[in-house]
Formats: sequence, structure tokens, C-alpha cells
Amino acid sequence: MLFSSVGFLFRFLPIFIIIYLTFPKYRNIVLLIGSLIFYGVGEPYFVLLLLLSVAMNYGFSRYMFWEPRSPQSNRKRKAARRRKRALVLAVTLDLFILFVFKYWDFAAGSVNALAGNRFLPLLSLALPLGISFYTFQMLSYLIDCYQGTIEKRADLVSFATYVCMFPQLIAGPIVRYGEVADRMESRRVRIRDLENGLKLFALGLGLKVLLANQIGTLWNLIMTAGAGRLHPLVAWLGAFAYSFQIYFDFWGYSVMAMGLGKMLGFSIPRNFDHPYTSRSLSEFWRRWHMTLGSWFKEYVYIPLGGSRKGNGRTVCNLFVVWALTGLWHGAAWNFVLWGIVFFLLLSLEKRTYGKSLERSLVTGHIYTVLLIPVTWVIFAIPDMGQLAAYLGNMAGYHRGEILVGVPQFVRYLKEYGLLLIACVTFATPLPTKLYWKWKDRWFTVLILLGIFWWSVREIVLGSNNPFLYFRF
Amino acid sequence: MNGNKMRTFVEIIYNCPFILLVIFTSIVFVLFFDGEGNRKEEPGIAALQLITEEVKAGTGEENASKKNEIVLKREHDTKEQDKEQPGKDGDQGEETIQNAGARKEKDGKIENSQERETDTRKKESAEKQADTETRATKFVEYTPIPTDSRYYSDAGKVALTTTYDYTLENESYFNDAAFLGDSRTLGISDYAGLEGADFFCDNGMTIYKLFEDDGVTYQKTGEKVDLKEILQEKRYGKIYIMLGMNELGYGDTPMYLKQYLKVIKQIKEWQPGVIIYVMANLHVSQEKNNMETEFNNININDKNVASARLANGRDVFYLDCNPLFTDEEGYLQAELTFDGVHLYAQHYDKWRDFLFAHGVACEEIQQTEESGQTKSPSDAGESGDSVNSDDSLDS
Repeated sequence: MLFSSVGFLFRFLPIFIIIYLTFPKYRNIVLLIGSLIFYGVGEPYFVLLLLLSVAMNYGFSRYMFWEPRSPQSNRKRKAARRRKRALVLAVTLDLFILFVFKYWDFAAGSVNALAGNRFLPLLSLALPLGISFYTFQMLSYLIDCYQGTIEKRADLVSFATYVCMFPQLIAGPIVRYGEVADRMESRRVRIRDLENGLKLFALGLGLKVLLANQIGTLWNLIMTAGAGRLHPLVAWLGAFAYSFQIYFDFWGYSVMAMGLGKMLGFSIPRNFDHPYTSRSLSEFWRRWHMTLGSWFKEYVYIPLGGSRKGNGRTVCNLFVVWALTGLWHGAAWNFVLWGIVFFLLLSLEKRTYGKSLERSLVTGHIYTVLLIPVTWVIFAIPDMGQLAAYLGNMAGYHRGEILVGVPQFVRYLKEYGLLLIACVTFATPLPTKLYWKWKDRWFTVLILLGIFWWSVREIVLGSNNPFLYFRF
Repeated sequence: MNGNKMRTFVEIIYNCPFILLVIFTSIVFVLFFDGEGNRKEEPGIAALQLITEEVKAGTGEENASKKNEIVLKREHDTKEQDKEQPGKDGDQGEETIQNAGARKEKDGKIENSQERETDTRKKESAEKQADTETRATKFVEYTPIPTDSRYYSDAGKVALTTTYDYTLENESYFNDAAFLGDSRTLGISDYAGLEGADFFCDNGMTIYKLFEDDGVTYQKTGEKVDLKEILQEKRYGKIYIMLGMNELGYGDTPMYLKQYLKVIKQIKEWQPGVIIYVMANLHVSQEKNNMETEFNNININDKNVASARLANGRDVFYLDCNPLFTDEEGYLQAELTFDGVHLYAQHYDKWRDFLFAHGVACEEIQQTEESGQTKSPSDAGESGDSVNSDDSLDS
């Protein structure tokens, strides 16, 4: 079920909230069942996979701290060994499931291509919605348990609720158990929380439906004409359009998740902090999809030694993190390439000009604003030939005469100019600042109401496309 | 106690104006729209209005909707007959059918014996006519699959480009040409390099909206113009029409055909002697083809077959560009398209060459035009009276 669908907005959400508020004692179980319905409507079979994964991981987390009767002498050593065994098994199984569903065809296809024949069969499995998100969330719980950073571990219902709760089940943010542990035990929903949560939700809905979807049509328009014979201006315009689309799409989703979380009595961490106003790519990644960035930092980069084991090792660790980040986003070579490009640029920044960029007033901004769209183009086009053609167009190279040139560029600007201005404005911190300043004023309420209904109108009229990040 | 409760109640209301406004407006929304709230809403209402208008008009001299029903019924019967006689020549047999796309049985409102009588009579006369006439547009039949949609049914055949001795032309042929269409025609305008032609097209344009007062974008200026005025003022030698994609989920195929016929009649009235090209709607790719919605090639083909019936090989021609771009199963080839609907810019030259190859010499038209006019007010409707009667109703 999509947040931006009539079914969710006018059926699931109101009914769920009423039931949720009516039974304050059974909030976890109500939330769990509600979330499973939410997930099951779209994925009637994969909901079983989700339940299986949850049960399996919960089992391992219990096994980790299972204490059989044994002589005092080697109890400690045995417990440590058991903990390790549980963690390794759980991580292996989780990654195996993820691999089979998400990466098998990609890996097998690549091997087949290398070998020149078809000795690995393709499975053509559908990708279970949100599998990358919930797998990572469960892994974070297990690793936190192993490291002992969780004070009070979850019981089965709490754990299942934590993994499955619908605001963040299918597209994050990746919440760590420690961040919601207290609220899992008991949570109060005040009327102010409902109010503010719904406001945030409306805001996120607007970002998604009114900005991301609309600007996405410009990118589609340009891609429909096809890479290869685009004027550089058009190619860049398309790259900016896609950059805005993916940002408002994902940010909008995250804001909606935060709003829903608030309505349910949680505080879901924020996932974006105006990434496009960064002055370097390192800063960009501290502000973009923050929960994923910190996941990789906490659970991959630091355990590998981070930057404390010498320069060679640091570069190596960075490479692993970015190759994995690329792969996490999708099973295709362009995602790997995308990750590697970030690895190269970030290593370069770290070693040379990063610090001075972040201190600069203008250069840093120009640097990010020009580079980010290029990276998103790599992200957006899976076909290597097309990708090369598009990047070529951006650089001013084209095969044959230009087919989409200045006249079309002018037309696009006329058609999308206002929207582009709106996108630029919302990429700056100004609108959020104003929102937090005036969120209780009557005119904000009216504006949000307008945004909400305008979004609903767009959804109903059908110019709606699903969230980009659902694919990952 | 009571006062306290009252105060908390007021406090609650004061604390959540947004929620209350959303709930209030939602109730209004629910009252004025149906629970689905999907986009079928508006077309649904429009279609309903159209039907009621028809019924109102019909109470006078002839009952239009009833007539329509009869025609549909007749087609249904003919189809069944065809099934019984597999040896029958498909091309010939199909000529009798005036109205495309049988409506689903449950949609039919009235089916009484009286209708069946007129029905059989009509069928006989239509078949007689078909025997005496051969039309220029050929159809290839196949076994239709059952569909469950209020928008379309499987036509059970594919229309081929109207048979005619076309001439090979060059760009100058298009200096007095106009193109009317949707986003695909916009693609021709942008990328086919037909500088001389006038393009009137918009994303989402439909056969129903073509002559509306909102206007259509004239691509040379980028301004909205009233097509009614343009077509009355400027004379064109040929007019290319390609519309049908945005009609896939609006009304149904008979309604589409009826409107198409109306448009063509209107154009002929304003532009005597003009050559009209009815262009097939390009199929969509396999990825985009969705049998669960109305967005699929069966529906597109249903619309195409319907519009192909309007071609007469004299001044109305049906051009099917699909063979250029589709695979054996009729899907738009995946490597030619990004979104499964529109061609990449670089492939429009193929389409242009196809248009070049389908020129109609002008003198011939003047001649046939004269003979055509004496014959019937509408060439398209001449082999059956059903569409004609609808016309008389419209005019």
C-alpha cells in the first residue's frame, strides 16, 4: 500500500488510528497487525517471508543470550562463543535471503556473461517490498544486541512491531532499536502529537506528490526522447530534474514516516538534512539518507577499522563501504558504478581538497550542485550504452545531429520554470525553518490543508507514480 | 465536573485544528465522490451525461441509445455466425459490421424481442450491402480473447493500412498538411523534421477534446488555438489524425468511433476535398501492456480497428505504422522506447519515411471527391445505416 494512495489515506489510516487509540493497552499488537495488513495488501505472499525473517532473527537474538546450566568455570567463554555463533548465523542467513531475492539474477547473469554460456539459471523472483530496509533494521538489532549496546532487549511482539511498523517498513528510515526502545514499552499519544504528526504527513505528501512526481515528468519527457542526441542544456536540465525528483520523493516519504510515527507516539529519526546545500560530497552523505549512512558507518566501516588503521586500510574500507552502498540501492552495474564514483570522489576529497571546500563560501556549493546531478544520472540509467550516451550529451558530445535542442529547452523551461523554482526553494532550509516557526499559526494550517487536498486531487487524477525508493 | 469536561473538550478542539479540518473536508469529499475516488470519476460522469443526453434526444424521433444497442447486438450475432462458419471469407464478412467493440452483455440495458426482430432485419440488409461492396481497408482476423472491461473488448481482428496506389512523396507534400494528435504526434512534430506541416497537439489530447473551446497547442507558436476556427479559415490539403491513447480509459469503443466519425464529418465540411489520414495508435511495449487495467494493446487495437472502419480508400485512409515498430506479438519493441509508450527521438525518421511513402495524388482526390459527395454525406457510414442515424442525431 502506498502512502500516496486513496486507499491508505481514507481507509487504512483513519480506521487504524481509531482502533489504535481505542485500545491503548494493546498498542504494539494493534500496530503489528495493522502493519502486516498494510504490507500484505501489496505483497500477500511476501508477508510470510517477512514473518519468517522476523521469527528467525528473534530466535537468534534469544539464542544469543540463552544460558544453559553449565559449570561456572567455562560459562563465560561458552556464552561468548554462543553469542558469536548466533550473530554469524543470523547475518549469513539474512544476507542469503537478501541475496537470493535481490541479487541472484544479477550475479548469475554477470557470471553467465563472463563465462559466455548459461550455466547458472536465472530465478526471475519478484523483489519483496522493502526487503533491503527491514533486513538492515533487523541486522542492526542483532549487532546491537551482540555488542551489548541495547539496555533492554525486545520481547517477540516488540521486536516484530519494531521491524514491521508500517511508517518505516518499506522505505525507511532505518531505525535502531535503542532509538525506540522506551516507546516500545509504553507510549502516550497526545492530541498535539496527532495534530503535528498529521501536519508533517501532509507536508511530506506534498513534497512527494506536488514536487517529486511533477518534476519527474520532465525527466521522463527527456528520457522519452532518448539519450544520445540531446543538447547539453537539455541533458543538464534532465539531470537536475531527476535530482529533484529523487530527493523530494525520498525526503517526502521520510517526512511522511516521521509524521506517522509521531501520530503513533514514536519519534522516528529524520533522514535528510537539506543535502543539496552541502559544500562537499562528504557533507552531502552526512545529510542524505542519514540513517543508511550511519548504518554503514556503524556496522561496516568502523568494525573494519575505519580510518584508524593507516591510509591504505582506510581507502580499502571506504571502497568496501561504497561498493556495498551502491549494491544496496540495486542489483545492477550502474549502481556499482555509482558507488565506486562516490568512493573515488570521497577518497579524493578526504585526501586533498575536502576541508578547503567545506570552508569555502561559494566554490563548495558550485562543486556539489554540479557533481550531484552527474552521480544521479549514473544512478538513474541502468543501460550502460544509454548512460554513456547521456553523460556524453551532458559533456556536449552527441552522435548525429541534435534532436532535442534549444527550442525544446525553452519550451521545457516555460512549462516547468515555476516548478523548478519551487524545487530549488524547497531544497534550501528556508521552508522547513518557516514551517517550524509558524507551524501552529492558522495560515500554516490552511496552507497545509490546501497542500493535502491538492495532493489528493493529483493522486485521484492519476498522475501519480510510486516511490522510487521502493525498488531498493 | 461538567465545566471541567467542557473545558478539556474545547481545549482538544483548539489543539487540533488541522485534524478537524481534514476530517471535515474528508466527509465533504466522501459525500461528493464515490468511495473509490479514482480517476474514472470524471470520465464516468461525462460519459453518463452523454448517455443521458442521448436518451433525451432519442425520445423524440428515434431512440439513439436503443439503436446503438441494436447495432452492438448485431455485431455480436455476426461474430457468432462467423464462428459457426469458419470457412467464410473474413475480410468480406467483417465489412458488414459498422460498430466496433461489442459491449459486455451485462452492460446492455434492454434486450426485448422487438429489438431482436429489427436486429435480424438490419443484419440481413447489412449483409446484402456487404456483398455488393468491397472496402479498401483489409482486416486480418484472429480469435478474440474474452475481456472484462467496460472500456473495450477484443476486436478479434487487426486493421491493415488501406489498400491504395500510394505515391512516394517528399517534404513538400506536407506543406499543406495538418497533424492533429496527442503526445505521440507531438513526437512527430518535435523529431520527424516535417517543418512545413502544422501540428496541433497536446499531451493528453483526445478525440473528444479536439474541438473544445480550450483549444489545442499550435506547435509553431506554442500557443493554444481554437481548432474550429483554424480549420474553417485555413485550407489544408491533408489532415493526419492520431488519437486514441487517452481515450483508452474513457467511454468505450463505440463512443470513440462515433466521436471520430463526427470529427471527420466536421473536417470534411470545413475542408472540402481534403485527404484525411486516420493513423493507427502505436502499440505499447510488453512491459507497459497491462491486462488488469485498460492500458493494453487489445484496447488500443480495438480503437484502431474502430477508426480503420472510417477509411474508404478515396479521401479517408487508414495508416498502420505499427509494423514498423512492433515485434511479432505486436508489442512495441523495448529498445525503441524509454517509457514503453513513446518512441525515442531518433526513430521518428522511420515514421516520417513511412508517411512519405503514403502520398495520395491530389487530382485523383478532386475527382473522387465529386463522386463521393453525390453518393453519401458520410462515406464512412455508407454501408450501414446505424452510424448515419447517429449522425443525423448529432447534427
